[in-house]
Amino acid sequence: MSVALPAIKDAALKRRVRNAALGLACLALAFYFGFIVLLVHHSHH
Amino acid sequence: MAQPHASDAAHHDDHNHDHHDQPATGIKRWLFATNHKDIGTMYLVFSLIMFFIGGAMAMIIRAELFQPGLQLVDPVFFNQMTTNHALVMIFGAVMPAFVGLANWMIPLQIGAPDMALPRMNNFSFWILPFAFTLLLSTLFVPGGAAAGGWTLYPPLSLQTGDSFPMLIFAIHMMGISSIMGAINVIVTIMNMRAPGMNLLKMPLFAWSWLITAYLLIAVMPVLAGAVTMLLTDHFFKTSFFNAAGGGDPVMFEHIFWFFGHPEVYIMILPAFGIISEILPTFSRKPLFGATSMIYAIASIAFLSFIVWGHHMFVDGMPLAAQLFYMMSTMLIAVPTGVKVFNWTATMWRGSLSFEPPMLFAIAFLFLFSIGGFSGLMLAIVPADFQYNQTYFVVAHFHYVLVPGAIFGIMAGVYYWLPKWTGHMYNMTLAKTHFWLSAIFVNVLFFPQHFLGLAGMPRRIPDYAVQFTDWNMVSSIGGFAFGLSQILFAVVIIQCVRGGQKASSLVWEGTHPAGLEWTLPSPAPYHSFTTAPEIP
Repeated sequence: MSVALPAIKDAALKRRVRNAALGLACLALAFYFGFIVLLVHHSHH
Repeated sequence: MAQPHASDAAHHDDHNHDHHDQPATGIKRWLFATNHKDIGTMYLVFSLIMFFIGGAMAMIIRAELFQPGLQLVDPVFFNQMTTNHALVMIFGAVMPAFVGLANWMIPLQIGAPDMALPRMNNFSFWILPFAFTLLLSTLFVPGGAAAGGWTLYPPLSLQTGDSFPMLIFAIHMMGISSIMGAINVIVTIMNMRAPGMNLLKMPLFAWSWLITAYLLIAVMPVLAGAVTMLLTDHFFKTSFFNAAGGGDPVMFEHIFWFFGHPEVYIMILPAFGIISEILPTFSRKPLFGATSMIYAIASIAFLSFIVWGHHMFVDGMPLAAQLFYMMSTMLIAVPTGVKVFNWTATMWRGSLSFEPPMLFAIAFLFLFSIGGFSGLMLAIVPADFQYNQTYFVVAHFHYVLVPGAIFGIMAGVYYWLPKWTGHMYNMTLAKTHFWLSAIFVNVLFFPQHFLGLAGMPRRIPDYAVQFTDWNMVSSIGGFAFGLSQILFAVVIIQCVRGGQKASSLVWEGTHPAGLEWTLPSPAPYHSFTTAPEIP
């Protein structure tokens, strides 16, 4: 990157940011696959 | 809401000299942008371009409907225009505009140096030009673009030609971009607030975006799942929605509207936040019932998940389901009413002044309410049986989205533009833009209520002669509204290029809440390298 970022120096904050982002991404993926699985299940009954 | 410290602007200036992070020059600044202001600017410029492309499609629609009969375009192309006008305006204009405003304003309002995930921010923006190039290029492939409506109902949408996989891929990319943007907003607000800024001190715009971001994460994957299943039905012989193979096309409608109804609120809640910032500033009074406004937004967001069936009353459903969806839809009027009355109470006996952001905010209040009332009419099951698939529905959702969402965006741009550029804009031109927009948006959309009540169906290029007069009026309003928007671009370009210097407060004589007003105008490249003090 050519532009310097104002780095997050606090390690605990960095970890919180990373975990929150991963958690929310997992939630989004769960909704995506969850609905597909629900429909697969529905189409078999 | 948080009141800034008087000394903060000076305090910040001291820190300005402590770091040397300056923007890169040339194309690299934009291609590799990680700064929230640069990315916010790119989102806003992209959204303005999409607004004009989607608007050009609307002009084609209104030109064809100026008279009965087929004059200008063939019916298939007309249907491609209605479908793509919706997709471009929803996913290309309104949503990216709000993400742009969020990128610009959330770090400034919560006292953060930047968004929490700046590289992901870059990625979520740069997906969009590719997604929309792909979507718009479907107009040029054999068989043409999607023409079955933005709702993509099967089996009609499965008849789309070679462009079908391009459309589905474009929608996936838009969804991924929105989800990444939403993750960034939530993580930023939950982790990067300045010390002392608890959630109840947070400005309403940031609050409205926090709730919107949760809605996005909950429903965009559902749309992605639905269109993935359409794709497998089309290419891999699955039968999720194919009745001939034991599937259920109505199930697609359920899944689509489980996404689609919260999507409406995704496009209006941030506008609620913007209006809640502007009305107190130009009424010179604090926002009436600020905490109740937050609860109202949260209530509307919750209710948006349980009302999707009102889009499907004519599909046929059990009476109990009709009653549930009707009642739950009408219930949304309660928190919405709380908001409208609170905004009115904010202005009551205030010392009002009518700068362009305030004009747009007041127009929003009146005209969005019209869209809300026609929504209540549509919620009544037996009435909906009559209104369904008519121009009354078109009038309803355009009142919600144009003088609602888009006027909200314009109000926000006119409110914060001097803070972004450091210049005041041409007030006369901006007010001219407002009056032309406010008059012609009504000339454009109000007659569509009459057309719908008289029985004119939507999504048709031709109509019975008795609908001619109001269609002509609506088209004249459409052309005039479209041309008026050129003024918006002119005001913005002039303001970026120069003009009278804006102070840090920008709106002299007002007392706006929010940390953004403690920063100089234009806001420095890195906003708060040292956390501001929140009393």
